[in-house]
Amino acid sequence: MSPKQTNLLQGTLDLLIMKALGAGEMHGLGISRRIDQITRGTFVVKPGSLFPALHRMEEAGWLSSFWGDSENNRRARFYRLTKAGRSRLEVETEQWQTIALAMASALKA
Amino acid sequence: MRLWPRIRSQLRNLFLKESVERRLDDELRAYVEMVVDEKRAAGDSASEARRVAISDFGGIEQVKQAVRDHRTGQSLETIWQDMRYGWRQVVRNPGFAATVIATLALAIGANTAIFSIVNALLLTKPPYPQPERLGAIFRHVEGSDPYDGPSGMTGEQWELLRDNVPSVIAGISSRGTNGVNLEAAEHAVYVYDGRISAHYLDVLGVHPVIGRNFTEAEDQPNGPRAAILCYRLWQRTFSGNPNLIGQTIHLKGEPYTVIGVLPRGGFTPLNADLYTALQPSRTGEGGGTNYEVIVRLRDGANWQQANAEINRTWAGWAATLARQNHATRFYFYTIPLMKGQSAELGPKALTLMLAAGCILLIACANLAGLTLVRMTRRTQEIAARLALGASRWHVQRQLWIENLLLAGMGGGAGVGVGFLALQGLLSLFPKNYLPVAGVPLDGRVLGFSLVASVLTSVLFGMLPAFAVRKVDLRSAMSSRALAGGERLRLRQALIAGEVALTVVLLAGSGLLIHTLIHLETLPPGFNARGVMAAKASLNDARYHDPAAFRRLLDESTAAMERIPGVEAAAVGLSLPYERVLNDSVTFTDGKHTGQEAQTDAVYATPEFFSVLQIPFLAGRSFTASDGPDAQDVVIVNRAFARKFFGDENPVGRTLRSGPGTAVIVGVVGDTQISSGLNAVAPLQTEETMYFPAAQIRDAGLLTLVHVWFQPSWIVRTDRPNTGLTGQMQRAMASVDPGLPFSGFYSMNDLLDETLATQRIEVALLGAMTGLALLLSALGIFALVASIVAQRTREIGIRIALGSTLRRAMASVAVPGIRSSAIGLGLGLLLCAGALRGMRSVLYGVGVYDIPSILGVVLVLTLVTVLATTIPTLRIAKTDPAATLREE
Repeated sequence: MSPKQTNLLQGTLDLLIMKALGAGEMHGLGISRRIDQITRGTFVVKPGSLFPALHRMEEAGWLSSFWGDSENNRRARFYRLTKAGRSRLEVETEQWQTIALAMASALKA
Repeated sequence: MRLWPRIRSQLRNLFLKESVERRLDDELRAYVEMVVDEKRAAGDSASEARRVAISDFGGIEQVKQAVRDHRTGQSLETIWQDMRYGWRQVVRNPGFAATVIATLALAIGANTAIFSIVNALLLTKPPYPQPERLGAIFRHVEGSDPYDGPSGMTGEQWELLRDNVPSVIAGISSRGTNGVNLEAAEHAVYVYDGRISAHYLDVLGVHPVIGRNFTEAEDQPNGPRAAILCYRLWQRTFSGNPNLIGQTIHLKGEPYTVIGVLPRGGFTPLNADLYTALQPSRTGEGGGTNYEVIVRLRDGANWQQANAEINRTWAGWAATLARQNHATRFYFYTIPLMKGQSAELGPKALTLMLAAGCILLIACANLAGLTLVRMTRRTQEIAARLALGASRWHVQRQLWIENLLLAGMGGGAGVGVGFLALQGLLSLFPKNYLPVAGVPLDGRVLGFSLVASVLTSVLFGMLPAFAVRKVDLRSAMSSRALAGGERLRLRQALIAGEVALTVVLLAGSGLLIHTLIHLETLPPGFNARGVMAAKASLNDARYHDPAAFRRLLDESTAAMERIPGVEAAAVGLSLPYERVLNDSVTFTDGKHTGQEAQTDAVYATPEFFSVLQIPFLAGRSFTASDGPDAQDVVIVNRAFARKFFGDENPVGRTLRSGPGTAVIVGVVGDTQISSGLNAVAPLQTEETMYFPAAQIRDAGLLTLVHVWFQPSWIVRTDRPNTGLTGQMQRAMASVDPGLPFSGFYSMNDLLDETLATQRIEVALLGAMTGLALLLSALGIFALVASIVAQRTREIGIRIALGSTLRRAMASVAVPGIRSSAIGLGLGLLLCAGALRGMRSVLYGVGVYDIPSILGVVLVLTLVTVLATTIPTLRIAKTDPAATLREE
């Protein structure tokens, strides 16, 4: 694990999971790896936060899940974005960009 | 968050818990296996790969719990746990639970039953299309003789209303229904006939399910005779025969053509078995205000317009009536039909609702007291839970859930009790007492019961819940002494409050009971013992002829006098205690010469006064020689003589009643009647004129009075005769086999019927007062009993130290007696204000009635003594040695 690990900001996890799933359906481990990859190792999501988030988001109707076969032919639970999840992703991305921009300019000043 | 996925997951989490758990387990295991696969692929040994994977994972059970904590419906889950815990608590204290549920069942039951009636009377829309456009016409009179209520109308008013008020379509009917004999093919039944005008059913919006409504031609005087049956009569008597339309049935001895059948549930304000055309006219029945009206607004019109048109059209009549009544203000107005019909009963129903509300409050006070005691017993348990880390909110929620659980069960039982009570109540009412189609236990009633239950649980749960906030951990865990002085005061205050409410109900019932006693013990003015009465309808074509009528009376009374044991038999248009015909007379003699006056009028056969043993004050009775060809004679009662002749002897004076001049031949004593002239009480004495049945020569008059009244055949027997009614029926059949009696009555039956309203009031309020008294007694009992239980040790010590048993018992009973006494005082103060509203239903009794108040004090004292003494008796069994050893 990278020593430069950063703690996840509140609310960031949902956005990262949705972003990861934006590329297509994935199982839990896949999502974890994908986040690791797209944040270039800055965020490592542990199962203790990943699974509660996945289940919560599924109950909220943003994700749906199904049993499928992993690349190694293991039975695994796959997740994908629902229509509601997809529009949620757009909204949150926009919000996040606004905040990030504001924070960046604030810290530069 | 979207609603549907949430609900779906919630349901899944609740009911498919196992499969949800299995899925989570499988999913997490698969994750671990995949990590193991990766590590092995990277070259680790199988056991090493697994060890690292699991340790990185961070504990499978912890992750599972983390997922569970985030699940939807987690709060529901804990509530479910609390409910199960609450249920165990309830089951562990069956005595407490049973008391609470029984108390609630009675209180909620009483409220449910009364509310059903209020609902049916005041809240349910009448079963007609667009009921808000239906109305009745009321009259408002201010002045020396004020009045505000339904306005009957004459034939002339009807014609004016029908032709000159374009805003409404109007229909009129007879006042109430008349019992008539119906004969058709093989059936002969006694049914209630409602007479209605041509458009009456159109006004209501009720249309025959087969056949048609009355036509205008059928509604003309002497028009074709037609009848419309109600659905039930059609089904029961004619087996729903669809070919009945156009067939002939015999009503009142005359042929009528059946032209229609009302739909199932087709209801009218008259609620009759069958309907015939009213055939209104300006004379006869239409000469007086004998018609009742309903109106429906036409499209585009409003009530203001209708009111203005009605007052304009009836201006002349209004002026005459205003002058007669010495009115300072006089006008007509329309009011919604439903409101008009419940104008009399509505306020009574609301008063009962108020009484029922008092019972609910009393129940709440009792339950609050009980729960408080239970809380005291549970202080240690609660302290333990608090010490083990439960939040105060958690403990409170637990208590609330227990209360709601009890309230739910009590409420459910209450609806059952209410349903039974309602059936009992309805069976108490005379036929057609409530002007509604039915009293359903509908959604609104159930909603009310639910709200009442929840409200009760909130009220009785509030105090104990607040008490939890004060639980002090250290003292509660260590101490055994639990009786806090503050709680005792609180309970005493609760008891005082409920006793005060009980006192108000008790005083109210006392006044009603005193009123009923007053009315029942009024000197009747005749001897009721040994008199049997039977009624028959002479609203029959064969008896429109005065000669036939005379023959029937002569022969039937003669046949009845032949029954062994019968001393005398007679016929009268109405009997004492009954409603009486009103007539006008003009004096042709004495100081009132030329004046017209209203009087009650009764036709009678010669033996009428001897059968009833009404005493003669002057003059003679009617005799067989007072026939149609003889001089007209009348007998007046004492009230008549006093009012119109003062101290003079009226015998020999003359007056005009109808076409001829009659001589007063006798004066009799007053009897109690149900007034139609100027009713100030349900029973009163009034100026009355008796005239011989044999001297009625006017067929029109004979027909008319028999539409309104059923005459009574009365006999006096010198000994009890069990077969008397059968013998009377046979005597009647020997004269006319086709004339059945509609019923047999003792004079007490008639009295009961006249005082039915008062009896119902007494029964209802009395039952509720009994309930309130029972609950209050239970409250006092529980208070004293719990003090006894708490102070057993102290009492043991006192007795060991030489105190007497009596002193010990007194010291325990005092709080109960004190709160009851305070409640009595408070209640009497409340009475001073609350009972004034009862003035309109009291007769011969003032609002501040000493006997009633003494009765209240006596009953309450008795109940208090009983409720405090019984639990203190337990002290006598206290063994000082045993209690001291317990230390």
